[in-house]
Amino acid sequence: MTLGTFITAIGSLLSIGGLVTSEGATIQTPAEVFDQVFTFFLVLGTAVFIVVTVYMVYNAYKYRHGSEHAKKAPDEDRPSLGEIPTGGGGGKKLALSFTLSAIIVVSLIIWTYGLLLHVETGAAQTDAADKVVIDVEGYQFGWDFTYQNGHTATNTLRVPRGTVVELMVTSRDVFHTIGSPPLRFKADAIPGQYTDTWFVADQTGEYTAQCYELCGAGHSFMEATIVVMEPEAYDEWYANTSATNETSDSGNQSSTDSSQAIGATPEVAL
Amino acid sequence: MSDMPPASSVKRWFVTTNHKDVGILYTATALFFLLFGGLLALLFRTQLWTSGQGILSANAYNQAVTAHGLMMVFWFLSPFAFGFANYVVPLQIGADDLAFPRLNAISYWLYLFSGILFAISFFQGGTFAGGWTMYAPLNIPAYTPSVGGSTAILALALFIVSVTVSSVNFLTTMHRMRAKGLTLWNLPLFTWSILLTVWMMLFAFAALLAALIILSADRLVGTQYFAYRIMESGAITMTNEAASLLWTHLFWFFGHPEVYIVFFPALGAMAEIFQTFTGRRIVGRKWFIIAMVLVAVQSFMVWMHHMFLTAINLQIKTLFMATTIGISLPFDLMVFALIYTCLKGDIRFKTPFLFAFGGLILFILGGVTGVFLGAVVLDYEFRGTYWVVAHFHYVMVGGVTGLVGALYYWFPKMTGKMYNEYLGKVHFGLYFVGFNLLYFPMFIAWETPRRVFEYPANLEVFHQLATIGGVLLGVSFLVMFYNLYRSLSVGEDATDQVWQYASSAEWAVSSPPPLENFTEGIPSYGEGTLEFLDEDPTVTAQGATDGGTPAVSGDGHGDAPALESGHDRHPSHASIWPFYLGLGMFLGFLGLSGLQDGSFAPGMEGGVYMAILAAGFAVTGWSLLRMGLEDFYVPEPSSFGEQWPFAGVENTKLGMWVFLASDVVLFGAFIGSYIFIRIANGWQDWHHLIPEAHVALPGLINTYLLLTSSFTVVLALVASERGSKWGTIGSLVTTFVLGIGFLINKGIEWLHLFHIESEQFAHGWGLSTNVASSTFYLTTGLHGLHVIAGLIVTLYLIWRAWNGAYTDDNSPIEYFGLYWHFVDIVWLFLFPLFYIL
Repeated sequence: MTLGTFITAIGSLLSIGGLVTSEGATIQTPAEVFDQVFTFFLVLGTAVFIVVTVYMVYNAYKYRHGSEHAKKAPDEDRPSLGEIPTGGGGGKKLALSFTLSAIIVVSLIIWTYGLLLHVETGAAQTDAADKVVIDVEGYQFGWDFTYQNGHTATNTLRVPRGTVVELMVTSRDVFHTIGSPPLRFKADAIPGQYTDTWFVADQTGEYTAQCYELCGAGHSFMEATIVVMEPEAYDEWYANTSATNETSDSGNQSSTDSSQAIGATPEVAL
Repeated sequence: MSDMPPASSVKRWFVTTNHKDVGILYTATALFFLLFGGLLALLFRTQLWTSGQGILSANAYNQAVTAHGLMMVFWFLSPFAFGFANYVVPLQIGADDLAFPRLNAISYWLYLFSGILFAISFFQGGTFAGGWTMYAPLNIPAYTPSVGGSTAILALALFIVSVTVSSVNFLTTMHRMRAKGLTLWNLPLFTWSILLTVWMMLFAFAALLAALIILSADRLVGTQYFAYRIMESGAITMTNEAASLLWTHLFWFFGHPEVYIVFFPALGAMAEIFQTFTGRRIVGRKWFIIAMVLVAVQSFMVWMHHMFLTAINLQIKTLFMATTIGISLPFDLMVFALIYTCLKGDIRFKTPFLFAFGGLILFILGGVTGVFLGAVVLDYEFRGTYWVVAHFHYVMVGGVTGLVGALYYWFPKMTGKMYNEYLGKVHFGLYFVGFNLLYFPMFIAWETPRRVFEYPANLEVFHQLATIGGVLLGVSFLVMFYNLYRSLSVGEDATDQVWQYASSAEWAVSSPPPLENFTEGIPSYGEGTLEFLDEDPTVTAQGATDGGTPAVSGDGHGDAPALESGHDRHPSHASIWPFYLGLGMFLGFLGLSGLQDGSFAPGMEGGVYMAILAAGFAVTGWSLLRMGLEDFYVPEPSSFGEQWPFAGVENTKLGMWVFLASDVVLFGAFIGSYIFIRIANGWQDWHHLIPEAHVALPGLINTYLLLTSSFTVVLALVASERGSKWGTIGSLVTTFVLGIGFLINKGIEWLHLFHIESEQFAHGWGLSTNVASSTFYLTTGLHGLHVIAGLIVTLYLIWRAWNGAYTDDNSPIEYFGLYWHFVDIVWLFLFPLFYIL
């Protein structure tokens, strides 16, 4: 069994939802994974925080100086000046709480790990015919998107709705990071390296992508527009493009070497 | 013997080496940097009131966020904690001072001067503007050209020198100068937290120093470690493909331990405050200590969780996800331990406890949100957003909350005056509300990218709430300053113990303690509780430490029976040379900032920088010399106390070993960088970047020269033990000559390589030629600088030997020998890596 098959098996075992098939069955997108996990963590995290804080504040109040409970313990139990520091007992409660919290935390991570595997391999598992692969190159201060036919657009990315879109991301100069909250994808754009990410857009419309790594004076303004189109509209638009460069209103001419950009395999490095 | 001006005189504060004075200096200076960093934050929070352009230009905004981060993390947080560490730790362990009092003063002056240098950087074309994380290649002059950017980096490097000196001092002190009965297990939790903090500091800051030296070399002399250039034609040449990742590894290897370095002292102070104000001993104290040790060790194994979105592979990501979750578990335990300590307590809600308790709540919230970040699938979205910002401010400023509690806790001890309790509570109220108003909305507006001032309009209300909270938080500090300042004059006099249930040794002496801490006698816990013995039961002849002229024999604490020369040797407390040394290094680093591409700018500007650099050299050299010759007496700790595991290793020798440990990490980072770059480039392809003229012979000759010189140092030690003055001098001179030979040989080799004219290297193979030349020259150059430093010390030793110094006490030669052997061993690694493989 190759490593890839093994990872896929674990992924499908542990993840909620299945993988895409070539018949176009639903795939659990990174956006859905994120929303599920985030909501769960949020609910659990808030509950834990509230319980712990209430417990703390309640007990601090219960044992406040002057209360009945505070007077109960004998003086030998209280620290005295010059004593060699020792512990204060209560170890059993501590061990129990610690074990419980450890179990919760570790379980959470194992659960999310299964989903991580799915997210990591989701794009690679999708057949080439069913996905759109885009090379993304960040620069100071915009984004170049190169399609599989060599066509390059600056600061505007058009994608079809409901299809896996895979982004291979790099940078021409400094470290950037591209991401879009509504579409829930993010990837570092590192000069000299390729990173990849993928997403599926459920609804048509226009979305914004921004830069998430400080890259110079223009960092705040480094935005791109992502236009999600109906698949037929997208295909029509795509058929009319060719291996030329198209710029958007920011007016930046890009000059990437398109043959270098297409189908570049991600380099894995430490 | 130096005498000590009274505390009311200005001169006192320039010459003091007493740990309590230095502690106060650190605390006051750190609070100043808190104000500076806080004002920067208020500036950009004002800009963030509405989305879009504001009072700051884009570049000024980037400078503000960068300087805010650097200033708070480095110049405020740790120094604030170390103000308390300096003041309290020697008292808690029963010592009269730190092991190396002058080094302690040096640490302070280097800290202050490094902060001043950073402030100057604003005026040199703008300070560094690439974020406190200083990512590459944004950090190279091609992208951030300002001179001030280089100065900020040099200031940080100077700060690291201060930290390293401090670590050596604290580690030696805490291991060697504890009172009888204070085994490591029995140490108070604040001292434990400082012990672990300085161990982490020693290794983590060495890695950052390596990164900063490399970055400074790129910025000042044109090496190519982080270079990634776009040519005029638009074609891309990558001089170093691995540049970006190399920086992130180096930086975060330091960066992650750093966050525990800033938090641990707060944790230790909170534990003390919880114990004192609940009247309960810490639940599970032993496990608390084990948990802290685990975190300290593990902190070096989680750094790639800052890099989950970089090109690292899935297996590595999984490993670091596991270690990250692993490190949260000991924190769970410590949090629970503190909470359970409240049960069956007798809790007094005084200001220190309000802050410690409140700080714990804030830390818990921060910690819970950290678990979110540890789940990689979530981290993919949180990367570079305000979720991260809110998380780390909750945990870090949660730590600050604990330290503010510590300030109120120890203020009466340090000043002898009680603060005003009502105003303290007012401070807490404003602080807690302001804190949450500032940082909680950031969780709600988490989708905002970091370090931008343009964000989606629907998030504006949250940013506005945050700005209001920031102002409130700032105002709360004004209440504190007013309270503490006024209390100095009109506050109630503080008793010795100050707080009921306070138990550690600092509460057993007066408030403030006397200059030499324990005038009632020698502290000992040998019989189960603290008592003060009249005399040291193991009076032995001990030598002096701290590098001054060799001392007369005496016992551990100054009140000795009849000595050889018949007079009482009192420990010294004052020296002006630490101040001048700090000044000299400040001038030197300031002068260096004028370098661009290997030379100074032409004309007046370059001339001024050169002059400042020269002045820096002169002042530094003169101060070092005067310090070496100064009659500064520090008694060696008596073997009566606890010294495990370093019993039998004198203070200075231990200090040297600790220093060398950090130097190991420094060179390790350089060698690691070289290997990382070379693998990324293709190990064998590397040879294409190196001219044929670069052969192994010069390296081989240098290896023989160094090995022989190590041998001659051993001979010098043997000769001095035999009392042979001329033997000692001869061996030292031979060492010096061999060292000079090494340098001359290296010089010839380098000049030859600089001037080759081959087809491939038409302009020679110099520092800026390619990444292979950069790594070669900088790594072997760093080693060469170590050789030069060693040779300067050798000259000093020869001169002192000439004057008959090392016939009885040859320990300086032994310590120098340790250093020299280390330099030798490093070369034995460099030679194969850079000449053979």
